[in-house]
Amino acid sequence: MVLTVYCWLLCLYPAGYRDEFGEEMMTVFRNARRDLPPALAAKISFYQREFCGLLSGALYARFDRLFGPAIPFRRFYMQPQFRFPRSTVFLMLVIFAGVVLTIRMASSVAGDQVGSVWPSLISILVFMVLTMAIAAAVVCGILHTLRRSGVHRLENVQSGRYSVESNGAR
Amino acid sequence: METFALTEPVLLVLVSLAEQPRHGYSILKDVESLSRGRVLLSTGTLYGALQRLLGDGWIERIEEDDGPRDRRTYRLTSRGRRNLQMEVERMRHLTKVAALRIARKEA
Repeated sequence: MVLTVYCWLLCLYPAGYRDEFGEEMMTVFRNARRDLPPALAAKISFYQREFCGLLSGALYARFDRLFGPAIPFRRFYMQPQFRFPRSTVFLMLVIFAGVVLTIRMASSVAGDQVGSVWPSLISILVFMVLTMAIAAAVVCGILHTLRRSGVHRLENVQSGRYSVESNGAR
Repeated sequence: METFALTEPVLLVLVSLAEQPRHGYSILKDVESLSRGRVLLSTGTLYGALQRLLGDGWIERIEEDDGPRDRRTYRLTSRGRRNLQMEVERMRHLTKVAALRIARKEA
């Protein structure tokens, strides 16, 4: 009965995730259940933890699948360096469009101008997208040139000490 | 030094794998033992963390051709080990400063 509920909850995960980890998760759950202490409180706590963990895990996995690795609660906790989330560019664009629209509407009201604000808004958005595309092309060009120069190998030189230590530890 | 903070479950998973490669249930039990029973991971939390660590290249799966699919073993990569060392260094610095301040207040 409990295993059936567990299987149903596993179905909430994306298919790729289930294929990769589903069997392992079932086995670990089975083992953990087998080794449970007999006390009722321990059992209730275990099932509550497991089912809440599955629900939140499924939610995170779905978010990951939908928004990619850019969602903040993933990257900010896991990365040693700050990364600029890709979704921020889109959000900034939306906010900027909202500000431009508000300014245009306010100036229309103040000057009693009749006419739509959409044509100017669209032209601004097109200009912004073109500017961003050009900036992205320039940055990609610089990165490509740096990569060809072999400058990234310097990072390996600095971290060589750790590699040696870790190999020795194994 | 780069600054970053790991969540406690992720840190404990990394510490658990620092000593030797382990499979899922072994990590679960070791985390419980490392935290003296304070941190009890659910399978959802454990595999969420493992998936992220795999994706970021901090851990890797030991591929065994004839190994069972429901009992796979994970180990730290050199990148994961390096980041764990940095995190330990950060915590060592923090505990040192905290101990000094407490001692100064008591004196």
